[in-house]
Amino acid sequence: MKILTYLLALTIIFLSPFHGQIPLELNNITNPTTVDHKLFWDIRLPRVLVAFFAGGILSLGGLIFQSVFKNPMSTPYTLGVATGSTLGVAFAIVFGFSSLLSLFGFLGALLTVLILFGMTLKLQSYETNALLLVGIALAFFYNASLMILFYLSDESQSFEIIHFTMGSVDVVGLEKTLPIILTSFGLLGLSLFYKKELKLLLTSNDYAYLKGVNVKRVNTILLVAVSLAVGVCVSLTGPIGFVGLIIPHILKSIQKKSAEQLIVPIFFYGGLFLVLSDLIARNLGTNSDIPIGIVTAFLGGPFFIYLIMRKR
Amino acid sequence: MLQINNYSNQILKNISFALKPKQNLLILGFNGAGKSTLAKALCGISPSSVKLFGKQLSHYSSKERTKLINYIPAKLEIFDEYITLGEYLDLSRLHTLLESKKLLKLLAIEHLKNKSCQQLSSGEQQLTMLATAVLHNAKITIFDEPTANLDPNKSRDIFSLLKSGLFQSKIIITHDLTLAYRLGYDVLFIKEGEVDFFGSSEEFFNDSNLDKYFGSSVKMVEEFLVVDF
Repeated sequence: MKILTYLLALTIIFLSPFHGQIPLELNNITNPTTVDHKLFWDIRLPRVLVAFFAGGILSLGGLIFQSVFKNPMSTPYTLGVATGSTLGVAFAIVFGFSSLLSLFGFLGALLTVLILFGMTLKLQSYETNALLLVGIALAFFYNASLMILFYLSDESQSFEIIHFTMGSVDVVGLEKTLPIILTSFGLLGLSLFYKKELKLLLTSNDYAYLKGVNVKRVNTILLVAVSLAVGVCVSLTGPIGFVGLIIPHILKSIQKKSAEQLIVPIFFYGGLFLVLSDLIARNLGTNSDIPIGIVTAFLGGPFFIYLIMRKR
Repeated sequence: MLQINNYSNQILKNISFALKPKQNLLILGFNGAGKSTLAKALCGISPSSVKLFGKQLSHYSSKERTKLINYIPAKLEIFDEYITLGEYLDLSRLHTLLESKKLLKLLAIEHLKNKSCQQLSSGEQQLTMLATAVLHNAKITIFDEPTANLDPNKSRDIFSLLKSGLFQSKIIITHDLTLAYRLGYDVLFIKEGEVDFFGSSEEFFNDSNLDKYFGSSVKMVEEFLVVDF
């Protein structure tokens, strides 16, 4: 059963680049002189790869945030990390650092994590409600800052920012997917390396400490790694909400296993979810592709609510 | 073996005492006196300058530290809803050669092995935590109210477990005076964040001290301590 679902998922991912508004002629894909070749290798395939790995990073990031902050609502989005990253990218666009979008995205994410982490140290414990409120307040603050940036920007910059904040896996050129792929494997590897520590953190910080985990160090490493990965991800795709929140929950409630046993499935199905969402976004028959964030929220929202209701 | 000097925080004031190797200790005191706060300072959950075996606890590596001290809180705290009792115990298997299976049988919680920790009753959670203490097998184990949620039979089982050779040194926080009296360990009485008494069981459990600390609510009737309502 498990293998079957994996196979089905892989088939969807594999077939995904062949579908889109312009039908492809299969024979042309291997022929470099055709438009179809360019369309497949430069547009469709990068898009599917970015969707898959971004979905993986966001879902795994959600899992790690939930484990570290011990709150089912904690994700890089709900705590304002992704918004911080978005602000960083917008800042880079407006002030002429367009070549350093990833770096600014990462700095925005890192700054937010530092604020959140500082809060937890100051509060002496992981008072998760306070943390969520801080995250929400930060998100408002960042949105206001984003509005100020709009006023400071010229027309083309404004358009660039708006397009960016809509969230899109629209990436041209296979080579541009390399950073996000490498980052994904990095984050995945790190999570698997810290599997046992993650399990202990999923019980409680005190228990983890007593069993020999250097809680502060492991938390810091994990949070910095997630902000780095989210920074890379957001600078490439813009903010895509909801994936990090729902994928870990959906997998946990279906598989009924503790989260650290689901690191690989959460990464994989998170990726699949974005590939599917993008596939829908590209094939709705509208004049232009609708932003992928709209699809994820439109599909994920009701399903998530259904899962919560079913549990009660 | 364990030494703490002039430790103060928001609740505790100038706590100083020392334990010799193999010495067991009972920490008694009223609700809110600072017993659990002290326990957390002793095991390093709250930063303190406690010394274990001649060296400051914070100077040991995380791994070495697990050999020396362990703390069993009053309540099982667990975030992930799917971690089972068996998995939880495995995380504590550190310095013992004992088989989990035997231990589960001994505590009569074998049938709960695959049940989620969050779904256990408070008594079952208490037994689970005691099992982790056995598996962890630190040189010093601090128990925070080990009999709080247990029925009389289970309390007696815990008493035998604590008396058995399964643990090395024990520090036991309790409100259960009968348990404290029967264990016969040295007593540290904390009152409003300060050490009010530190001495042997015989010195503590006499009529004048009982009267001083518990007023008329606790009486010694032959060999038993009785709470008088």
